[in-house]
Amino acid sequence: MEAKIINKQEIASLLDRLIKGYEVFAPVNKGDRICFERINSGSEAFLDYQNSRIPPKGLLLPQWEVLFSYHTTPGAVEIEEPPPPERRRLVFGIRPCDARSFTLLDKVFDGECPDPYYVNRRQGTVVVSLGCPKPRATCFCTSVNGGPFSTEGSDLLLVDIGDEYVIQVISDEGARLLEGSWLKDAGENKLALAAGAVRVAEASLEAGVATEGLKEKLDHSFNDPVWQQLTEKCLGCGVCTYLCPTCYCFDIVDEGAGSDGDRIRLWDSCQFPLFTLQASGVNPRPTVRERYRQRIMHKFSHFIDNYGEFGCVGCGRCVTECPVNLDIRQVLNAISQLEGVR
Amino acid sequence: MKNPYLPLPVRIEQVVVETEDMNIKTFRLSFVNREDEAAFSYLPGQFAELSVPGKGEAPFGMASSPTQAGYLEFSVSKVGVVTTALHDLEAGAVLGVRGPLGNGYPIETLQGKNIVMIGGGFGFSTLRALTNFVLDEVNRSRFGEVTVIYGARSPGLLLYKDDLEKWGKRTDLELHLTVDTGDEEWGGRVGFVPEITREVAPRPDDAYALVCGPPAMIRFTLPVVRDLGFSAERTLLSLEMRMKCGLGMCGRCNIGSKYVCRDGPVFSLAQIMSLASDGELA
Amino acid sequence: MPELTSKVREIARNLLEEGRVKVVIGFERGTMPLRRTPCFVRQKGEVSRLIWDSFCENNLAKYLVGRAEPLAIVAKGCDVRSIVELIKENQLRREQVIIIGVPCQGMVDWRGVEAGIEGGEVREAEEKDGKLTLRGADFEKTLKRDDFLYPSCQTCTHRNPVIYDLLAGELVTEREADPYQDVAEFETWSGEERWGYFTLEFSECIRCYACRNACPLCYCQECFVDSTHPQWVGKTTNDSDTMAFHLTRAFHLAGRCVDCGACERACPVGVDIRKLNRKLVKDVKERFGYEAGLSLEQVAPLATFKPDDPEEFMVNP
Repeated sequence: MEAKIINKQEIASLLDRLIKGYEVFAPVNKGDRICFERINSGSEAFLDYQNSRIPPKGLLLPQWEVLFSYHTTPGAVEIEEPPPPERRRLVFGIRPCDARSFTLLDKVFDGECPDPYYVNRRQGTVVVSLGCPKPRATCFCTSVNGGPFSTEGSDLLLVDIGDEYVIQVISDEGARLLEGSWLKDAGENKLALAAGAVRVAEASLEAGVATEGLKEKLDHSFNDPVWQQLTEKCLGCGVCTYLCPTCYCFDIVDEGAGSDGDRIRLWDSCQFPLFTLQASGVNPRPTVRERYRQRIMHKFSHFIDNYGEFGCVGCGRCVTECPVNLDIRQVLNAISQLEGVR
Repeated sequence: MKNPYLPLPVRIEQVVVETEDMNIKTFRLSFVNREDEAAFSYLPGQFAELSVPGKGEAPFGMASSPTQAGYLEFSVSKVGVVTTALHDLEAGAVLGVRGPLGNGYPIETLQGKNIVMIGGGFGFSTLRALTNFVLDEVNRSRFGEVTVIYGARSPGLLLYKDDLEKWGKRTDLELHLTVDTGDEEWGGRVGFVPEITREVAPRPDDAYALVCGPPAMIRFTLPVVRDLGFSAERTLLSLEMRMKCGLGMCGRCNIGSKYVCRDGPVFSLAQIMSLASDGELA
Repeated sequence: MPELTSKVREIARNLLEEGRVKVVIGFERGTMPLRRTPCFVRQKGEVSRLIWDSFCENNLAKYLVGRAEPLAIVAKGCDVRSIVELIKENQLRREQVIIIGVPCQGMVDWRGVEAGIEGGEVREAEEKDGKLTLRGADFEKTLKRDDFLYPSCQTCTHRNPVIYDLLAGELVTEREADPYQDVAEFETWSGEERWGYFTLEFSECIRCYACRNACPLCYCQECFVDSTHPQWVGKTTNDSDTMAFHLTRAFHLAGRCVDCGACERACPVGVDIRKLNRKLVKDVKERFGYEAGLSLEQVAPLATFKPDDPEEFMVNP
């Protein structure tokens, strides 16, 4: 399907149409921040935003979910799985970095050992992204193989050209969304404008992080004293991991009383002190230094070993929301610049 | 799509108190559904997650050999929430099991080789499974000489006393037991496992050394094993970490880029040294 | 505030030169125009990193617990009060820390400033004579600093450090303000209304524990919420569990919280955490005549018993 054109005034109508067939999640203005929430009418969506405070990963990996319920009787245990989601979902207006994060989460949860909870939600989710004509100074998507108009993980991509969006059709799923709609083909002029917007945006991104040769430097600087200095101000608060679109560590707990209860999966963080605490009392990562280093190593080395790519999309949330401004870009640059390390 | 988080129901057939302080018990479990048993095919060195509904799950190494049909054995040390709950259960109770998980001992590679097993305390459980596997008449001829060095803090803390007695009577393995501190009845060796290993001096020719035990024991045994001539590639360890999913996904059990639950728990010393490790073996 | 910056640097240089401390804990420029970040200066040649202005919002007392070395800390009014409490709780020895007190005119809410720009991204910021000049790609705007102070700073009555070894800057006049007006209003609500307010406010909480980790008085080796043996509080964002966490933490801080606002600033979802804490601060003030962190000699009221302690909740329920 050819790229379409839509006037910004018509977006609400398009959303109303989509709401008929899907549970639609879109950015909503909460006053002091933007969040992805389910909308019941197209007018609730707020697209004039930089990025949401909390990434939309909660749509695929909720903060908590029931893996199964159990009911015990003497001599027996009954287990009941929750039903899979009924209605298809559509997330509208997410940024290309967040859409790309879905493809990275796919590698973990839909790889060697498919996770049915994730897979059911993922297969039932359609993604309409909103490209970034004005990336922020804290964005560094291009340093990690992404981009302000990256199409990875998207079914449709909206390119802002002023009063209108060009809608690029990325997948068959995306094409199906627009079938039978009133939207016209974009045409050469609009497409040229869109291409121009993409060029301007890409050029504007300052090269925030030197990622060339970074993995090797990381692998050889594990015991370097620089880590103590870099992490001295870290609070170990976990905000970076909770707000990160590609962080996915989880905990599993049973909650119940007596014979009935649930086994629940919930967000956890490698920054939490008890994350690796063993029952014997040994903790391989006893201080913020080991824990913060683990986060960096995981995203910029281990994820490459296991899944072939950086485990980071450069959205910059950890940069802006860290209460003490511990900037991941500074950390990565410091490691890249270490001397005497191969 | 198979749901890897669902435990299968197992029933406790027997509970054996292994140690005089009552802190370690061995549970013999059988599958409630026969078809689950057939599907649970495992190797020594692998582990499973045992579920006590309402308390949670915890990982335990398989303590029985797959050649022992009809049941699975797990030795449980009472240290936390799940293990305390397990210790309160009696024969007839039903729990959940998820597995087999992990990589197990490299049986293919060990074939035709001499096997030296060095275990300390509670860490001996998967080596016990491996020993019974190798000694089984179906398997014995496939492996070379078998040496087992096993120590505990005191005689009352030695596990699997029945097996130890049976093995002691066999001629197709060399068994060396030791305790840190003896008692009036103990007639065997007294000494820490690393010292005894040095005395026994197993030969490295065509051999693999498998070391399993608490961090302190490993720390002092590895140099002995190395001095005896075992290469880092031929020294195998079974590691422990806090685990939850057992599938390499929840993110907590990794050493470097390897997840102990998925890529291990059995690693060669060479592999461990090449990983940027923040485990106690670093 | 260039004069404060120079003073802080001068003091730091002298302390390091004289070998009186091994490290000076202060602030340096952050990686965004409106941010400053904690820094640890160990060489006198590095003191030029230190800076002091209206964006030095973190409570640096957080970094004092567990340090063995002699140190100096650049501390504003609320930070110093936290230090006083830490000393009283034996987490720090008075002799170990040289307090470089800075009288504070309040810290600016950088998120509020960005919202005040309405859509533009601040690329440069300058503070001068009570005004903030902000420049972006296609705008320049000047705002009054005082219009954008954090709520905790707007009603602060302890802007001067209550104790210090060295003073950077002139003492400021303490204002006459009632920091508890909204709490008093809240106290007129029924139990149901209060519960409704809190459950709604805390429904946004994602259980990241940034509030706890930013708080200098939350220094427990194992926090009750992390304990699994026993599991006191569930870890999901279930309303009841989330309220249990916040209520318990507020009670653990009763009589200890200095209302520095670090918790609120760290919260990524904008929960009004301070309301809960301030209710307890007000209660402690009214019942025991005590405000945390004002004096090393005053004993913490919940750590001691006096025969005339109010006990009407027990005696006349």
